[in-house]
Amino acid sequence: MKKTTLDWRQALLMIVILGMLGITAFPIYWMLVTSTTSSADLFATPPHLLPGLAQWHVFRDVFGSTDVGTWLVNSAIVAVGTTVLSLALAVLPAYALSRFRFAGIAIVGLALFVTQMLPEAMLVVPLYAIFGQLSLLNTLTGLILVNTAFTVPVITWILKGAIDGVPMDIEEAASIDGCSRLGTVFIVVIPLIAPTLAATAVIAFFHGWNEYVFAQTLVSAPELHTASVGLAGFVGELSTPLHSVMAIGLMYTLPAVFFYLLVQRYVVAGMTAGSVKG
Amino acid sequence: MSSISLKNVTKTFGAKTVLGNINVEVPAGEFLVLLGPSGCGKSTLLRMLAGLETVSDGEIHLGSRRVDTLPPSARDMAFVFQSYALYPHMTVRRNITFPLIMRKFRWWFHIPLLGHFAKRRIESSPEVRELVDRTAKILSLTEMMDRHPRTLSGGQRQRVALGRAMVRQPEVFLMDEPLSNLDAKLRSSMRAEIIKLHRDLGGTFVYVTHDQIEAMTMGTRIVLMHAGEAQQIGTPREIYTNPANTFVARFIGTPAMNLVHARLEGSQLGIGELKVPLPAHLGVRGADSGANVLVGVRPNALAIGADTTQPGIAGTVGLVEHVGAESIVTVRLDTARTAHDRDGGTADEIMVTEAGYSTLSAGSKVRISLDLDQAVLFAADSGKRISNDIPLPAGTAHPALQLQPQH
Repeated sequence: MKKTTLDWRQALLMIVILGMLGITAFPIYWMLVTSTTSSADLFATPPHLLPGLAQWHVFRDVFGSTDVGTWLVNSAIVAVGTTVLSLALAVLPAYALSRFRFAGIAIVGLALFVTQMLPEAMLVVPLYAIFGQLSLLNTLTGLILVNTAFTVPVITWILKGAIDGVPMDIEEAASIDGCSRLGTVFIVVIPLIAPTLAATAVIAFFHGWNEYVFAQTLVSAPELHTASVGLAGFVGELSTPLHSVMAIGLMYTLPAVFFYLLVQRYVVAGMTAGSVKG
Repeated sequence: MSSISLKNVTKTFGAKTVLGNINVEVPAGEFLVLLGPSGCGKSTLLRMLAGLETVSDGEIHLGSRRVDTLPPSARDMAFVFQSYALYPHMTVRRNITFPLIMRKFRWWFHIPLLGHFAKRRIESSPEVRELVDRTAKILSLTEMMDRHPRTLSGGQRQRVALGRAMVRQPEVFLMDEPLSNLDAKLRSSMRAEIIKLHRDLGGTFVYVTHDQIEAMTMGTRIVLMHAGEAQQIGTPREIYTNPANTFVARFIGTPAMNLVHARLEGSQLGIGELKVPLPAHLGVRGADSGANVLVGVRPNALAIGADTTQPGIAGTVGLVEHVGAESIVTVRLDTARTAHDRDGGTADEIMVTEAGYSTLSAGSKVRISLDLDQAVLFAADSGKRISNDIPLPAGTAHPALQLQPQH
């Protein structure tokens, strides 16, 4: 009797989960449907709910008619660059914020938060001037730098929380066993916060991959457009080629989803890491 | 193996002194126990020895080297943590090998891959492997070398932590309450293992505990600490027989020593109505006739009788605890006061141990007679012992090497 109740509850839970999954995944599916539906059927009632197999050539066509390949590569460079640079720059400050007590530590922590309150658009003009002088306009390096500047504070705070959870005893044991302070960070602390590092990598990657405002303003050369800018370029005043936009949009979305799937195991562990000590 | 010497070692946090003027000489090969209630500064002292806390004042010497200014890694001391502090991401073998790898560490070991191979090379070199395997064998860890710490039980983790300390073959072993996270049975067997380890390795051990059983059975000498000061330094037997002050008297022994208020009256001692002749060998120093003193008597040096016509301290039985071979009788006194109330302990109560199964029951009127031969006297105001040392038989310097661990 009890067992059947349990099964019934599990089934209900499953239905709820599937429903939520459907809501989340539907936009991606709809992009696929829209990109493969002929123009005539796009606005039909009732709408077509299945992708039209006859229209697969749309994907081949956009590669032929646009620079979507280059855009995706540029986006990947910016996203990966932002991820690597952000993590490299955030680990040591996070360690310092977690382990050291120094004058002004509260101000440093607060300053990191304050940077998050400035809207990107407000910084475009001064950054344009500064990047102009540093010859960073029209470079992907410039985009990596500016994206990193926005991700480092968040990542620093998240990593600080993770390092707080590493027992001090373990670091002390390492120092007695002969590790220098920096050695302790690399040999003991970083492996222990690996799940959180994966979670922050996702944050940095998505930020770099999605970023639009700076990619639009700081880079004007067409061969350096990222996918976000390239995609926006399709939205015309008079007409928007919905098939192409959706096809590119799909290609733009999927790599990010795959990256997430790759590290999601660690991300989940990282998000619960703070609650379980040890 | 090295001697350690602490000279006026002091620790202050801001204006607060947590450790004041600790002076201890630890000869090479000694098993020194730092014993005291929580918050007495014993762990802080150990951490200062290891280099995990800075020394505010004073000096620490290891052999002929001054070490208090050196970082932990340069002191050649191994440390066993209460929490074991194993590296969770490494297998048992890696945990034990880690100090040996760090000994040969170069900065370029941080380079991924290259460093990985360099470390594996050290790990698989014959001398390292042999040493690690031998250590594992001594501690019966051979079966679990490829497991991670989280899959081990508390006792096994403790042995891995010991292995990580042993493999370095350090001058000094420092242990911070290493057994307090284990259950009672495991604790007594680990106690025996550590005693054996000390005998076999012959290193200098400094061991922190709040458990007097551990201190009495393991230590060759004990530093009994309270409120940041060393109250007494001596062998377990010295501390048990000749406590330096009332704190030591109350701390050592289960049940604790009874401290009864009394007055010096010439060659007699007045305890309430009772007058007891004072044995000459007690030889009271620095206290005049009429002075208030505390008489310290171990519960087993007291005799209890139901015959209320006999001379003795009058009282009423409050509680009888049968502990198998003996019974512990708690007696509420009718007149003479005891000194335990200062600690919030049992006011006006005396504990008496009686051999066998006591026939007394709560509520019976009794008389307690005391044997002052083994008694100690303390000044009532300062708490310092004013009677002479009770001489100890020779050959009791290293009880840890003779005692069998208790179960």
